[in-house]
Amino acid sequence: MGGAAALAASSFAEQSAATKLPASDQVNLAIIGPGSRGQQLMRTFLRVPGVRFGALCDIYEPRWGQARKITGENTRALKDYHELLTAKDIDAVIVSTPLSLHSEHVTAALDSGHHVYGEKSMALTVEECGQMLQAVKKSGRHYQIGLQYHYAPWYREAIRLINSGKIGQVTQIYAYWHRNNSWRRPVPNNDPKLERLINWRLYREFSGGLVAELGSHHINFANEVFGAIPESVVGSGGVDFWKDGRETADNVQVTYRYPGGKTLFFSAITTNRFVGCQVQVCGTGGSIVLTEADGTYYYEPNTGASAVPEGLAVEHGVVTGASYRAELPYRGQGRPLTVPAGTQGNPDFLACNSFIDSIRNNRRPKADEQVAWNCGVTVAMGNYAIDHEARVKFADHVRV
Amino acid sequence: MLSRSTLRNRTFFLTFLCFALGQPGISQSAEEQLFSKSRGAMGTTFTIYLYAPNQAKADEELEASFDEIERVEEALSNYRESSELSRINRLAAITATTTDPEVFKLLQTSFDYSRRSDGAFDITVGPLMRTWGFFKQSGHYPTSTQLSHARWSVGWNKVKLDPAQRTVEFDVPGMELDMGGIGKGYAVDRVIDILRDAGVKAALVDAGSSTLYALGAPPGKEGWKVIVPRPADRLHAVSEVVLRNNSLSTSGSYEKFFRLNGRTYCHIMDPRTGEPVQGTLQTTVIAPTGTASDALSTAMFVMGPTAGGKLLESMPNTSAIWITNNINEPHFEQWHWPGRLCRTADHCVTAGEGNGTR
Repeated sequence: MGGAAALAASSFAEQSAATKLPASDQVNLAIIGPGSRGQQLMRTFLRVPGVRFGALCDIYEPRWGQARKITGENTRALKDYHELLTAKDIDAVIVSTPLSLHSEHVTAALDSGHHVYGEKSMALTVEECGQMLQAVKKSGRHYQIGLQYHYAPWYREAIRLINSGKIGQVTQIYAYWHRNNSWRRPVPNNDPKLERLINWRLYREFSGGLVAELGSHHINFANEVFGAIPESVVGSGGVDFWKDGRETADNVQVTYRYPGGKTLFFSAITTNRFVGCQVQVCGTGGSIVLTEADGTYYYEPNTGASAVPEGLAVEHGVVTGASYRAELPYRGQGRPLTVPAGTQGNPDFLACNSFIDSIRNNRRPKADEQVAWNCGVTVAMGNYAIDHEARVKFADHVRV
Repeated sequence: MLSRSTLRNRTFFLTFLCFALGQPGISQSAEEQLFSKSRGAMGTTFTIYLYAPNQAKADEELEASFDEIERVEEALSNYRESSELSRINRLAAITATTTDPEVFKLLQTSFDYSRRSDGAFDITVGPLMRTWGFFKQSGHYPTSTQLSHARWSVGWNKVKLDPAQRTVEFDVPGMELDMGGIGKGYAVDRVIDILRDAGVKAALVDAGSSTLYALGAPPGKEGWKVIVPRPADRLHAVSEVVLRNNSLSTSGSYEKFFRLNGRTYCHIMDPRTGEPVQGTLQTTVIAPTGTASDALSTAMFVMGPTAGGKLLESMPNTSAIWITNNINEPHFEQWHWPGRLCRTADHCVTAGEGNGTR
């Protein structure tokens, strides 16, 4: 590929990210919680020019070595995040701790004058989400929620098509994240003392379970498509298969009702991966299916009435016979969503690069605190509905 | 010291293989069972064998291992637009492109193998592969114009790595990096890290049978038995070796090739000539890491036994077999090979199919 062609084929965000920067533009990051997701964020942030990690914090010391391996240097490592937040040379903090700690860690980082990239979901409860929203507004710092698919080029293209009316009126979204594994991480030497630390996602004290860890991406997308948070939710779920001492459900189903009766159904299971991770957007004029890697548009057969000459049906009459037309699912290929030239790239990279751009140029992140709050309270209400096995009205719990 | 010889002149039995088969308790507790799982990744099938106390524990470790392979593939794939390597390939001809320390270090390692092998191993070989039609499995002889154009865009010394800025920059447009000759070995090493950290004492990680790493040893064994088959003949073995905390990789000319005017053109390129390597059927290398064995098996294939053996002299704990085509008859050469070599199919042990290590 020649230089000009390469220029056209690479994304504008990628190109601006690739440009060499003067040392004065260096952004010093710190991370609280460099576990598996935190480490992936570290790798991705280090692909943005001028980014360096000045400190890291984790109560589990083996993470220090793993994180230093990623930075390639002897990065300052701490157990106490308060100490990390007093460091003078840190511009922004990545919070990638268990969900129940997001509120404490993000608020402390904002209060100490740092910009924050906070992993999703925003917080464990509706109340904490509200407190964090206020904390961001009060701080005047930038806060970006780690919903990387908000930056995925094929998701952006889907939103553009939906907003242009390409698939008519979107009435339903069916979203799935189906896996066939225990959702457990190996605990070194089966040390029971480490179980909750490593497998925090499985324990209610720390985690919002499958709705928070997997569903939040789909929920954020539905909130954007419907332009609102839901009005109500019903939910079900339980520990029905992996009876290994876990507390968060191994299967969940939540149905959110948005204004105008628009609906999001989300399902996550851990016993079958036939469906995998996908979002089906159902419009009156077509459908869009989104996966972790791409998107596909499907046309909707015309269901409107057609005028016909009376001679055909009335004068001639209709013929009777044994017949039944099965309503089989559509089995065609669909048309792949084409990401516009200059917009492609890895969602994680685009999200991380956008955050650094927000810091350098004082730009509000696209996935800002309002996006985070919208998603966070929707997740929390979904879990509330599952816990109470009831239809729950947002108005009774969420103050907009 | 270089020690090569043809099999015709060698004894078959090496004392190295007199290991204590059947003696229990050498390295693994007796309660542990062998588990295995396969999954498609990096254009092949990865299979992991490991000993664990129960299936639940095995599943956790295997799932974490396959997650790691997926992570590495998402970084190194040049088939995925979203990968870090694809991002570098899109940008590095335009501007110096920053990447993370892990990818940067692997690029440095790759170019170190290029330097030490005088360019026989080269991750910039993609344009040549495309010109010869091997990316689309439509092999053909390119025109001289096509060939010279492709060669202009190939060469490890046309890529600038700046360690201070961690940037990658291509000197000429049209270049691309392809980790096909080292990426699977690297993924194998990362899985071994995961398994070691999880406390696994015995495992075999198999990347499509071309690169293997043996962690520890099965209970009562000295190591993991690996059979090296004859080229394009999985029923008969060239050799049997035992691996323990080391890796083995095989490169062969018989999986992807085309024939033209009586000549066979295989998919392994000599980046220095721009043409497929001629005359070599198979190379197998044992080395301390998957990354090393993967890269070296390709390098040995291109370099041949004379130059290859000299390179291996500078690399501790390596050994290799070359099988070349000598007037339609396989010709064997080896460097410090730890196992017995088998000269003819009739005398070889039967490798069989699906026996676990193939």
